[in-house]
Amino acid sequence: MTWVTISLSAGTLIGMAVIMTYILGWANKAFHVEVDPRVEAINGALPGANCGGCGYVGCGEYAEAVALDNAEVNLCTVGGSGCAADIASIMGVDVVDSLPYRPIVHCGAHYPERLQRNEYRGEQHCQTANIVAGVQGCTYGCLGFGDCVNACKYNAIHVVDGLATVDYNKCIGCGACAKVCPRNIISMVPFRYEQMLAVTCSNKDFGKEVKNVCTVGCIGCKACQRNSDFFTVENNLSTVNYDTYESLKDDGVEKLKKAIDKCPRKGIVLMGKPTESDILSLMNEDIPKIAEPDFKTTVDDTEWRG
Amino acid sequence: MNYVVDILLIAVSAALINNFVLYYFVGICPFIGVSRKVDMAFGMGCAVTFVISIAAFLSWTITTYILKPGAPLSQWVAGMFVSPEMAASIDLTILCYIVYIFAIASSVQFVEMYVRKFFPALYKSFGVFLPLITTNCAILFACLTIMSNVAGVDNPADAWDLGRSLTLAVFGGVGFTIAIVIMAGIREELDLCDIPKPLEGAAITLVVAGILALAFMGFTGVDSGLKKALTPKTSEMVQAQVVRQQDQLATIALSSNPVGMHR
Repeated sequence: MTWVTISLSAGTLIGMAVIMTYILGWANKAFHVEVDPRVEAINGALPGANCGGCGYVGCGEYAEAVALDNAEVNLCTVGGSGCAADIASIMGVDVVDSLPYRPIVHCGAHYPERLQRNEYRGEQHCQTANIVAGVQGCTYGCLGFGDCVNACKYNAIHVVDGLATVDYNKCIGCGACAKVCPRNIISMVPFRYEQMLAVTCSNKDFGKEVKNVCTVGCIGCKACQRNSDFFTVENNLSTVNYDTYESLKDDGVEKLKKAIDKCPRKGIVLMGKPTESDILSLMNEDIPKIAEPDFKTTVDDTEWRG
Repeated sequence: MNYVVDILLIAVSAALINNFVLYYFVGICPFIGVSRKVDMAFGMGCAVTFVISIAAFLSWTITTYILKPGAPLSQWVAGMFVSPEMAASIDLTILCYIVYIFAIASSVQFVEMYVRKFFPALYKSFGVFLPLITTNCAILFACLTIMSNVAGVDNPADAWDLGRSLTLAVFGGVGFTIAIVIMAGIREELDLCDIPKPLEGAAITLVVAGILALAFMGFTGVDSGLKKALTPKTSEMVQAQVVRQQDQLATIALSSNPVGMHR
């Protein structure tokens, strides 16, 4: 009796195994989908961060787009030029110059420089604070509630004294912060060099109004435009022309320096990784140790607003 | 009991009253994991409903014809070696877990291949969930419920047929979809809320799930009421009611008849 039960059990399982194997084996052949081997190869060449910086959902999706829909090979901001070269060799095309894109926050005002600030007690998000009038005078500048900080998966952007500040050593250029900013003051800029010039203001109002709300905002005086054709002032706001960045490197340096010096608001600054001389100049200074997160620093001290 | 009433009761019970997620707490993993966006949650719900139906069909078939005591197939095979009485008493229900997991995994694999070949768009939208569902305990739970109602009943006539099993599976899936979509809706709203740091993420989700389960407890007892309302009255019950009504009429007639008072 026992033996019958045991052999019946074994028979049942073996029978099921045989049937299922047969069905699945047949299905594997009958429902076979041709996968382009290049997709697999490109997938291997990509960093696999799945950040979405290329504009596709993930690395797999981008690999498919490159192999099947002739997408550009240099869209991966994380992998940079090396990754683009790998993909180009897989696809057998020439790589177009690929620049790493990094975010630049077009606002330079910390709390002391912003005028007409009022206490805001609503939801502590830029998205909600942006709807309310009167949180601060400037309707273009950084709100400092850190939606970009929350969006960043790489801990590469922080709010320093009310101003979102990118840590370019950690940033991989996925663009999540630029997407989430409700005031659209973060733009993704092709970083031709380690440091790039940037105008740290987004205010398109006339000079007088800007002076009312901010002590560092661009007033549209066109001093920079007069000194270097590197800048264009449109709608009372100076912008850097990143397309002509390369050409002005040779002869325009003096002009550029003059333009930067002439800016009455000191709103044209270099952004990016600190250069070697910057690091050297800090060598003798007493830099505080990096605070490691522990219970005291990670515990939330904000008020409960149920 | 009337077959249609039985089906209806199983359906309501599986979808709302004894909701898989919020009453039995099975299938919590996708319930917490894939309930970030409503459309994702709906895709997951549909995928689970689909797989659960296939698994129910397979498990009912296997249980009825092979596993349960006196199942025709195993009885016939065993009858070749031992006496018919012994063959009828062979019980293979101990195999239920391994056999059901086997059936679920294979069918999910098959469905994935099929969908990938013939519905690439559908595969893109919920193909990623299919392997996840293989190890989802809600599916196994449905199979085990069906098994206990097929093999675990005292009277063989009470054993569930295929229709009842499929109803349980489909409406169990519908109940899962309802629960996960409600959850996703709440979580989308939660994203905008100011949640204290220690409660963020999974913690607040579990709290919300608990409150949601409490809300679904409000359905408890609906099934027995529904059963009472839908069950056709037997002749004895009808007779008892008629007698009761006649008694009442007699009392009213006695108490309010002025003629009787005077007499």
